[in-house]
Amino acid sequence: MWDLVKRWWRTHQARKKAWTEHRYIALDIETSGLDPATDQILAIAWVEVAPPVIHYTTGRYYLIDHDETDLKQSPIIHGLVKKDFIETSQLCDVMAQLSEQLNNKILICHHTQLDWRFINQAAKRCDIQLSPLALFDTLAFEATRLKRQQHHIQRGSLTLAACRSRYGLPDYDAHHAFSDAVGCAELMLAQGYKYVGSSKSSII
Amino acid sequence: MQPEFTEVQRFLLDCPPFDELTGEQRQWVAQNIDAAYVNEHNVDALFKQHSPALYIVRSGGFDLLAPDGHLIERLESHDLFGFPSLLSGRPVVNKLKVIEDGIIYIISAAMFDKLRQNVRAFEQYFIRAHGQRLLSEVARRSLREVGPGRGEATVNADRRETSHTNVETGSITTSESRPAVTEKSPGYDTLELSIAEVINREPVTVSSTASIREAAELMRDEKVSSVMVTGAAGAVQGLTPKEGADLGLHPTSASKLFGILTDRDLRNRVIAQGLSYDIQVNAVMTQAPATVYGRQTLMDALTLMTQHNIHHLPVLDDDDQPIGMITNTDLMRQQRSEPVMLISAINKADTRELLVAEAQHIPAYMQTFAARVHDTTMVGRLLASLTDSMTRKLISLYEQDHGVAPSTYCWIAFGSQGREDQVLSSDQDNGLLLGNGLNEQQREWFKGLGEYVCNGLNECGIPLCPGDIMASNPDCRRTLDGWLDRFQTWTESPTPKALMYCQIFFDSRMVHGNKRLYQRYRDDVAKLGKNEFFLGNLARLQVSVQVPLGLFNRFRGTESGKDSDLINIKRYGIALINDIVRIYSLQAGLTVPQTLMRLEQLRGSNLLNRKDNQSLGEAWQFLTQLRLQHQLDIWGTDKSKNALDPDELSTLTRRQLKTAFRIIKDCQQGVGLKFGRIG
Repeated sequence: MWDLVKRWWRTHQARKKAWTEHRYIALDIETSGLDPATDQILAIAWVEVAPPVIHYTTGRYYLIDHDETDLKQSPIIHGLVKKDFIETSQLCDVMAQLSEQLNNKILICHHTQLDWRFINQAAKRCDIQLSPLALFDTLAFEATRLKRQQHHIQRGSLTLAACRSRYGLPDYDAHHAFSDAVGCAELMLAQGYKYVGSSKSSII
Repeated sequence: MQPEFTEVQRFLLDCPPFDELTGEQRQWVAQNIDAAYVNEHNVDALFKQHSPALYIVRSGGFDLLAPDGHLIERLESHDLFGFPSLLSGRPVVNKLKVIEDGIIYIISAAMFDKLRQNVRAFEQYFIRAHGQRLLSEVARRSLREVGPGRGEATVNADRRETSHTNVETGSITTSESRPAVTEKSPGYDTLELSIAEVINREPVTVSSTASIREAAELMRDEKVSSVMVTGAAGAVQGLTPKEGADLGLHPTSASKLFGILTDRDLRNRVIAQGLSYDIQVNAVMTQAPATVYGRQTLMDALTLMTQHNIHHLPVLDDDDQPIGMITNTDLMRQQRSEPVMLISAINKADTRELLVAEAQHIPAYMQTFAARVHDTTMVGRLLASLTDSMTRKLISLYEQDHGVAPSTYCWIAFGSQGREDQVLSSDQDNGLLLGNGLNEQQREWFKGLGEYVCNGLNECGIPLCPGDIMASNPDCRRTLDGWLDRFQTWTESPTPKALMYCQIFFDSRMVHGNKRLYQRYRDDVAKLGKNEFFLGNLARLQVSVQVPLGLFNRFRGTESGKDSDLINIKRYGIALINDIVRIYSLQAGLTVPQTLMRLEQLRGSNLLNRKDNQSLGEAWQFLTQLRLQHQLDIWGTDKSKNALDPDELSTLTRRQLKTAFRIIKDCQQGVGLKFGRIG
């Protein structure tokens, strides 16, 4: 009960802060499939953002150790093959680190629903609580924005690369978890500065 | 664990000087940088918080403004800024204005310092960039990729440092720091060796008061075909007024070179003349011979030998002491020096057909030679030497058939052959300077000579001049007064056409003929060139040609039609520098035609300051280098020989090209201010 109150208070306070005063974790994962119940996290990457700066020193990238690494999703898509899994980490160690990182920070993903479900599931299995201040979905933001401008949303126009190109952000080689995490962080900053505008506004 | 940041690393690899770092160092940079999303709302706060630092533009567009608000430069992807404050420790004064939001990488002062302490090339890059000396930074990478079979050449392994930077104070020494293109690498041509490296025996000298017999005995014992004639300081004082004066200039010299005596001299001047073998050497030696310094290159020796048609050159050290002799056989002995063989083959050709046949080898030879040498100016000099040799050979073939010349005369090379910055596609620019009082028949002889040589050169691959500046044109065969009249018309009524001619005719060199006649001509022409009214018009014409930099210092295409994005670096680069240097040379009354040599002689000039002088030289060398590179790349295609696509250049080369154009632009303004108001 006390935890809940504490959390409510924290969120309440946070809402009063400008979005630029928050700290963020931009995260991307690579998985063996799309179902958090049956599929596994193969790689996870994140980087910390203190608007307008992305601190590369905080960048992390982990390949997750699985007894039987299951690559049923095409390895070509993620560019991961078995030999990449030499220096791997234990999922629970990584979740513990992530949990610590997320404290008082806002989690950013491109398509939060999927990533958040995967990492939440994984954390639960390790008996770890992930409690970011809030979630921010660069994809959902873009979808809402386009709809509000009465754009018809075309297939493929909401991929990370497509969204980035609308903001004039450089092309990155897609589908490396870390590039995507950085790409997502830059996209969030662009969205923030372009559409949230003045640093006084709040995005959560 | 930290990721490898492949994306950032790849970007840095294309962002000089970060390409100078090892992979490990680059990774360290990638792991420690900050990336900021910069827009108009956060730009001021951001830079207040993060300066001084080195900034790299990853995306977007930004204008760097001086405190007074004027635009210094538009910054785009791969551009660096902020380093002047890091180097000088002075506070940041320039402002950044956001044109298009984007990502800027921030390298902290601590990181920057660590990098410059550990990587010399990295530090030097910034010191040069700070001193606007970026041109002495070299596109070594692109150079090494030249030509077939050079792909395996060591791209990074053999970099050497050439310039001398005082690291402690961070100041740049203004001493000679030629672009590193002149660095030697495993692929250099032996003509780039210094003469001192090649001469392999002690000098053989004989006293000027020794007898001819003694000299001949010495030559026999030492098995040499020539000796240097020297005199001890006091021994020959007063021998001739000239030598006495020379001695006066070098009071500390232990022994001074007075002359040279060769096998041929013994044959022609002693035996054939029936002279006594007991007279002194100084009576028959060649006085004040052409000499070279040990530090000069074999190319210098080759040029001098070809120009004077001599086979022996005394070599001096920097104190003018003889240290040896270099002969044309020494040059030929150097392996891989096809140019020497080629010149020698041209000299040996007995008929026009043989000469033309030898000349067919030139393009192929030049290809491999150009791909091999690092001092690009050697290519133009060698082509000029070859053209000189062919010209002289054709003249002597003509004389064989038509008898010797009916009067003294000079064959003169103008334009690029005169300046020795010829390329393979350069056409002929030449003329004849004739003696006075020729009759109709004698004029016919020279008409025949002009036609024979110009057509011969054309067959040898030096195209006829479309503007008809050739000795085959009666207008280009004139007596001294005839030429002076012509120059006077140009300088006194400088029509645009006249001014255009001046840019060709004021760059001249004698290829064959009477030296004294040429010297008189050249001195008189130099006097006419000093006309202030003329210089004023020339200056205004030059200033009206704009360098291909548009708004915000972006490249602007110079061509028309489908090539409209291309930049002609000859017309809007090399030629503009030639023009700028020419106007200062005319004003100073210089008679040498080569742009770099003119700059050397202009050192210490009141009008052209030392920094501009050096910058012009570096820009000229850079552009010549770039043009050569381009011509090698497009060889065999129908692409333009002088126009290139800036988008196809590496990041470093683009930055350098912009620097070169900016130097030209600044110096053009200088010319406008100094000369343009007169007349």
